Amino acid sequence: MQSEKRSNSLARQILQSVMDASLVPFLAILTAVIFGGIIIKIVGGDPILSYRGLIEGSFGSTKALSETAVWATPYIFAGLAVALAFKGGLFNIGAEGQLAVGAVVSSLIGYALPEWLGYDIPAIIHLPLAILFGVLMGGVWAGIVGALKAYTGGHEVINTIMMNYIALNTTSFLLNGVMKDRSPTNVIARTPLIADSARIPPLFEGLRIHWGFIFALLVAFFIWWLLTKTTLGFQIRTVGLNPDAAKYAGINVKRIIILTMVLSGMLAGMAGTIEVTGLNYRHELGFSIGYGFDAIAIALLGKSHPLGVVLASFLFAAMRNGATRMQFLTQMPVDLISMIQAFILLFVAADAIIRYIYRIKSKGERVVLTRGWGG
Amino acid sequence: MKKFHFISAMLIIGSMILAACGGGAPSAEDCSSEEVFCVGLVTDVGKINDKSFNQSAWEGVLKSQEDGVADVVQFIETADAKDYAKNIAQFGDAGYDVIVTVGFGLGEATNAAAATYPNVRFIGVDQFNAETVAGVSGLNFPEDNAGFLVGALAAMMSETNKIGAVCGTDVVPPVWRFGEGYKAGAAYADAEMGTTTEVFVVYHSDVGFDKTFTDPEWGAQTAKSMMDQGADAIFGCGGLTGNGAITAAAQAGAYAIGVDTDQYLTLPEAAPRMLSSAMKLITPGVADLIAATKDGSIQDGNVFGDAGYAPFHDLDGEVPAEVKAKMEEINAGLLDGSITTDVPPVKP
Repeated sequence: MQSEKRSNSLARQILQSVMDASLVPFLAILTAVIFGGIIIKIVGGDPILSYRGLIEGSFGSTKALSETAVWATPYIFAGLAVALAFKGGLFNIGAEGQLAVGAVVSSLIGYALPEWLGYDIPAIIHLPLAILFGVLMGGVWAGIVGALKAYTGGHEVINTIMMNYIALNTTSFLLNGVMKDRSPTNVIARTPLIADSARIPPLFEGLRIHWGFIFALLVAFFIWWLLTKTTLGFQIRTVGLNPDAAKYAGINVKRIIILTMVLSGMLAGMAGTIEVTGLNYRHELGFSIGYGFDAIAIALLGKSHPLGVVLASFLFAAMRNGATRMQFLTQMPVDLISMIQAFILLFVAADAIIRYIYRIKSKGERVVLTRGWGG
Repeated sequence: MKKFHFISAMLIIGSMILAACGGGAPSAEDCSSEEVFCVGLVTDVGKINDKSFNQSAWEGVLKSQEDGVADVVQFIETADAKDYAKNIAQFGDAGYDVIVTVGFGLGEATNAAAATYPNVRFIGVDQFNAETVAGVSGLNFPEDNAGFLVGALAAMMSETNKIGAVCGTDVVPPVWRFGEGYKAGAAYADAEMGTTTEVFVVYHSDVGFDKTFTDPEWGAQTAKSMMDQGADAIFGCGGLTGNGAITAAAQAGAYAIGVDTDQYLTLPEAAPRMLSSAMKLITPGVADLIAATKDGSIQDGNVFGDAGYAPFHDLDGEVPAEVKAKMEEINAGLLDGSITTDVPPVKP
C-alpha cells in the first residue's frame, strides 16, 4: 500500500515535470499559431482553411506523413547536434557547415569508392562506410572548434560561424570542380549519383520515407541515454552548468569540451549524410540550406531534451511540409510558415512574454545558452 | 490559478482543431473531371512575383484563364529544392491537366513526374531535353534572336559607334547565343544603316559555375573598362554578373540593356538609363502551349517560343522614330524567318 502510493506520486512527479517543461513551448506554439491566424486574416486570407491545409498537407495521408518524416529526419539529427552542445554549455552555430562537409564526404564515398577500387562493393559494407565517413568528417569539423575552445579559449560561436564559411565555400568549390557531375547535359553544381550499394532503402515501396528516419529516433534515444545514464553524459552536463565546479570535481574539462563538440559535429554530419544516402542520392549545392540554422530553433524549442528535439523536429517538418498544401488551397505565401516559426522561436527564447500572457510563474531551471566571452 | 490558465489554453487549441476539421470544403472545382481544364504551376525556388521567370510564366497561365482555355489555375511556390517532386505531385494527385514547371532546376523532377502522371501534360519553361520525354514539352527560346534585337538597337543608338556586352560563361549555350546574337544584330544594323560599330563582347569564362553568374563586381569593372574605351551602350547577360554591368553602365550615363525579362522592372537603380531588354517571351509562350494542350496539337520535346525586346520606358523620347520603325521591321523579320542570326545552337 505504502509503496504503491509512493510510485504513484513518483509517476505524478514525472508527469508534473514533463508538463512544466513542455508548458512554455506548448503555449509558445499556440500563441504563434494564433498570431499567424490573425496575420492571415489581416492579409485577407482564411485562417481556418489555411491551417486545415497545413494539417492535411502534413498528416492528411500516408504520402503526407511520409513527407513529414522525410523533413523531420535531418531536423532530428541536426537538432540533437545543437541540443547536445547546449547541454555541454556550447553554442554550436556550425551545424550548417558540419552538415555540408558530412554530405560532401559521404557522397564522395558513395559514388567514387567503387571507381577507386575498380569493383562493386556490397551494400552491407558500402553504406556503413559512406555514413561513417560523413559522420566522422562532421565530428572532425566541429572538433577543431572544440580544440580551439579548450586550448586557446577561442569562442565557439565565432569559430563555428567561420568554419561554416570555410565548409560552404569548399563545398561550392568541390561541387563545381573535381566532384562535379560530368554528365554532358548537367550545368548544376552537384555530385554524380551515389552507387545503389550506398543508398538507404525506403521503408515502404513508393514512399520517400526511409530507414534513416527510424535510425534518427534510435539515435535520439541513445543521446538521451548518454546524457542521463552515463558518466560521460553527467560530465558533459556538469561542464555545461559550471565548468569551474566540474574542474574542481576532477573532470577533465578540456577533454569534455572537445568531446562534446565532436559528438555534436558527428550528429550534424549525420544529418547531411542521411540526406545524401537516404533521400537525394547525391549532394547538390542548395540542398540542405538552412537546416543547421533551423536546428538551433528546434533545439531551443525542444529545451535541449532529446524527446523535445524529436517533437520540435516533427513540428517544424510538418509546417514545412504542409505549407505546400496550404498554398494549394489558399494561395497564402509559404513565407507565412517562416513567420510562424519565428514567432515560436521568439516566444520560446523570450519566455517572459509567454509567462506574462498566461501568468505562469518561473520554475528556476533555465537552459544555459552560452557563457560569456572566454568563459 | 495556473491550472485554470492551462485548461483555458487547452480549450482554445481544442476548439481551433475542431474548427480546422469542420471548416468549409474548398470551393475549387473538381479537376479530376473531364470537363474541368486545370492548370497548375510550380515555381523554382523563389516567389511568384519575382518580376522574372516565375512571374512571367504565371502570367501566361493567367492569360490562358482569361482566354477561356483554363477553368482552374493555381500555383505553388517552391521553398526548398527537395520539394520539387512533392509540389508537382500536389497537382498531379488533384487531377490537373497541365502542370507548368519553371526553370531548368526542375527539369529532372518534371521528367520523373511525367512517368508517374502519364495523363498530365508538363510544360517545362527553359528546360531543354536532349532526349524527348513522353508528356513533357520543354519551352525554350531563341536567345540569339533576343540578342540580335538588342544588338541592332544598341548599334543604332550608339553615338560613339562602340557597344559592349558583359556575359556569364559561354560554356552555357543560351548565354553564348545571347552574346553572338548581339554581335550579329550589330552587324546587321551596320549593313542597314551604313555605319561601322565596334562590338566588345566579354564572357566571364575564367571562373567556375559558382561565380560566373554571381560576380557583379567583375561585371561592373568590365563594363567600366568598355566605357573607358568609348562604349556607350552595355548589354548585361548573365545573372548578377550582368546586373553589375547594367548598373555600372546606367550610373555612368550609358545605355543599359537587360536580359531574359524586362529588367526595367527588376533593377530600379538602373531603370532611368534602361534602354531595353533582350526578352524571352515566356508569357505568350506558356499561354500558347496551354492552348495547344487543350486542342490536342501539342508535341513532346523541345518547343521554341519567341524572343522580343522590352519597351524603352523612360528613354522612349530619346529613341528616334526611324530606329523604332527599324526595330519593328527586324523583329517582324526574325519572327517570320526572313532575317536569321546564323548563330549555331552551341559554341562550335
